[in-house]
Amino acid sequence: MMLISGTVPIKGLPLTIGEVRLEEEFLGLNDIKIPCTQGTAALISAALAATEYLKLDPPQVLVVGDNGEGRGSRLLYEYLIKNIPDLLPDVLVLHYCLPIMDLMRKLVESVERCFKKPIMIADAASMYVAKAAGLATKFDIFTPDATEIAFLADPDATHPAYINKHLFDTDVTRTPELVDAAYQLKGAAKLLLVKGTIDYVVRDGEIIDTITEPDIPELEAIGGTGDTITGLVAAFAYAELELHEAAIIAARANRMAGKFAQATPGTKVWQIISQFPDVFKEYLCEWSGVCYVEDNRSVSIT
Amino acid sequence: MIFRRKKKPPFEGGGLLLFEKVEEAIRAEKVLKGKNYAVKLVAPPPTLRKGCDLAVEINLVEQMGIERLFRQKDVAYLEVVPLKGGGEVLEIVKVTNFKEATMVKAGNMKLTFDRNTGIILNASGGGCPDIPYLHAQLIDKKLTEAPRPKEIGFTLCALMMDRALVECMELWRKGGI
Repeated sequence: MMLISGTVPIKGLPLTIGEVRLEEEFLGLNDIKIPCTQGTAALISAALAATEYLKLDPPQVLVVGDNGEGRGSRLLYEYLIKNIPDLLPDVLVLHYCLPIMDLMRKLVESVERCFKKPIMIADAASMYVAKAAGLATKFDIFTPDATEIAFLADPDATHPAYINKHLFDTDVTRTPELVDAAYQLKGAAKLLLVKGTIDYVVRDGEIIDTITEPDIPELEAIGGTGDTITGLVAAFAYAELELHEAAIIAARANRMAGKFAQATPGTKVWQIISQFPDVFKEYLCEWSGVCYVEDNRSVSIT
Repeated sequence: MIFRRKKKPPFEGGGLLLFEKVEEAIRAEKVLKGKNYAVKLVAPPPTLRKGCDLAVEINLVEQMGIERLFRQKDVAYLEVVPLKGGGEVLEIVKVTNFKEATMVKAGNMKLTFDRNTGIILNASGGGCPDIPYLHAQLIDKKLTEAPRPKEIGFTLCALMMDRALVECMELWRKGGI
């Protein structure tokens, strides 16, 4: 089972766990309609598009309303800390939440009590707090953007707003130096997918691939297009691709969906997500070797 | 039988509120606890000490909401400092021009507006829970009519979004570029 957890911008939404369905601009969860915009909803939608195409079980999602005051985030951490050894996901994705270091520490301890440790993926504030609490190396995948890799490479910052201005001012061509610094400082997960003009896939400190095509600069402006990459990585990891392959294909698919959608700075993220089935149909076999999909969670490799 | 007291995990906030007087620190702690903020009275390390020798440790990411609460409740304080690092919130911004739109990047946040109409087209980046909420509040609104993230958000991500919005408004006032 793949479990995705994060906050959504619906004030008062209680902690809710279940399966979701895509309804154009919305995600349906029980009787709740969650707008498919920037954040955890975009991540879930992308993961769902991939699992549907691959005929895998849809992700289980754990969401809660939080407008920034942190009450929902605390409920989320506490539920996971208590229940994760019983939920026993194969893939655990931690996303939007208020970064609370002591609760993240307890959550990681709880994950370590699992009979089988899940593939741990963190993005957004879950990645911030994992790094700030010195827990980055406990994670399998982080998906930072150009600013966030500077944050991971800053020995002191506990949030990207406080990174050293010289690191923020860094040209994108210096990303490899920041990657190196992040690993030296133990501020990185085992695998990094650094999202940017050039996407870098890094395993244990070594850059193993870069993705530059198609070049769609407008994607950076569209809120949620970083979240969709993380959702795709999670789904492909759940499909049992090697983690670096999952990252490479996710980066390519996201760019190609931007091309298919003829993205402009005003494009909404659900318009990108709606392109994923066509992207998979046209390119997934070529990129991954996954050319025939059977029901019941088996993927045939040609 | 041996009874073991369950150990409460230590609070790790990453930020300090500094005060001129001890009584200000005590009042600030009371106001924050009244609003369910996780805080702790501590002695500031000598390198960060200003004013009195009592400080309040806070979750640094909640800095913006806390400072707004202090303005509303008239709570006196000297400043907020991170426990580690240089102690300054990022001030610099980066600007990218697309064909008819401009994107301003402040820290981890990006805001993009249409140069012809001044309408906010998109907001991206960040990771705190108020960001998707702010996204919904800002998109498709004119820069001059959009709510300020620093008035309705709570976190450092929202503070960065506010910086981006201020820069967008400045560029728009100068003619959009």
